[in-house]
Amino acid sequence: MAAAPDRLRRARPLLGTFVEITVAHAAPDLMEAAVEAAFDAIARVHQRMSFHDPLSDVSRLNNHAAAGAVTVDPWTFQVLEAAVELHRRSAGAFDVGVAPVLQELGLLPGPSALPHSPSATTMDGQIELLPGCRVRFRDQHVAIDLGGIAKGFAVDRALEVLRERGLPQGLVNAGGDLAVFGPEPESVFIRHPLDPHRLIGHVQVANEALATSGNCIDLFGSGRVTRRAIIDPRTQEPPRAIAGVSVRAPSCLMADALTKVVMIQGEDSVALLDRYDAHAFVVSISGEIRVTSGWLDSKTLAA
Amino acid sequence: MTGWIRLAAPAAIVSAIVPPAYAVQYLSIAQAQKEAFPSATSFAQVDVRSWKAQSGGTVLGLFVVDHVVGKHLYIDYSVALDPGGRIKRVDILQYRESYGGEVREASWLAQFVGKSGASALKVDQDIRNISGATLSSHHVTEGVKRVLAAYGSRAR
Repeated sequence: MAAAPDRLRRARPLLGTFVEITVAHAAPDLMEAAVEAAFDAIARVHQRMSFHDPLSDVSRLNNHAAAGAVTVDPWTFQVLEAAVELHRRSAGAFDVGVAPVLQELGLLPGPSALPHSPSATTMDGQIELLPGCRVRFRDQHVAIDLGGIAKGFAVDRALEVLRERGLPQGLVNAGGDLAVFGPEPESVFIRHPLDPHRLIGHVQVANEALATSGNCIDLFGSGRVTRRAIIDPRTQEPPRAIAGVSVRAPSCLMADALTKVVMIQGEDSVALLDRYDAHAFVVSISGEIRVTSGWLDSKTLAA
Repeated sequence: MTGWIRLAAPAAIVSAIVPPAYAVQYLSIAQAQKEAFPSATSFAQVDVRSWKAQSGGTVLGLFVVDHVVGKHLYIDYSVALDPGGRIKRVDILQYRESYGGEVREASWLAQFVGKSGASALKVDQDIRNISGATLSSHHVTEGVKRVLAAYGSRAR
């Protein structure tokens, strides 16, 4: 991928991280235009689903959806549909309604002491998806954060743009949540969840997605792990046994979301992984690695 | 039926050409200028890090290069401003995770692990992609705000 003339690789700060798009084997003009359009798709997701932007769909929902139905971008609606489905199928482990808990822990901006009752911090039956991309919350204390799923969705949309433009090969990597299409597999290293200076695994990704969750890291400062951003909606605490999870799945939305479920459910998540044709690579707090059997069937190389 | 498999302790089997850092050069300054202002016929340097994009006598906007540096991260980026001082686009020009002497090559390489019994992993290229804990782009976002404050009124 280095300096091959028929390859184009660009990166921009979006979705709170660095989004990188790589394309190959097409005319330079076509590749440049396609990459630009793919970044536009990511920017659209960023605008609609940012928790921080007061004009985003997410902010409008959090501020107004309890008072009456709010019309959102079809993409936001699509993500919410997936979130509701995953919530149901994961017995509540996947929950975009944990925003108030994240705020209390200082992981999201907002009032530090929301007047919520614990029951209102999950999305259980609280999100009504209505015809015409309208959304209503049943409880005024519900606040959603799509941070656990929108990045994967954005990667899928960008990849779709690259395909539609007729490119033969492409990769979109949004801060470690990535998807690849085309005949050439991409070589991806998995960062150690407890020590970002180290890599702990290697996997070949072809025509599928790979997402990793665990800690946030700050390479500007110490480079050390700073804080946990995943909360078990049932205990309202970070998962204790697992340090990091990578999931391979047909779509990046699903890979992204399933990393959170595996973080919380551990080995119990295997039925859900099967249902979505997904495979997991799990690093425990003690540094032990476990994978689902399907992970090894691929061209994965790890431990 | 899917089950869980515990993997054996890591064994280092990666060739030594893997560098002890992750670095990507995305765009040179000239490339980034051209992509941000494709119709520009000239870029007149204004100061050490900014250029005015022009087409004939018309000013198309301002192109500014900046960088943010942390203990382990170095990022060059560019900001293209339209004549109204609004951000046209932000590109990462160069990204480098650097651990200097903190990571000795041997111990760093030992982190690469391969499937036991299978043929040795051949890494015949640089590390191209990393999946892992999300890196924050907060510092670049702050940098873009500083660029906007300093140059926003000078793009005309």
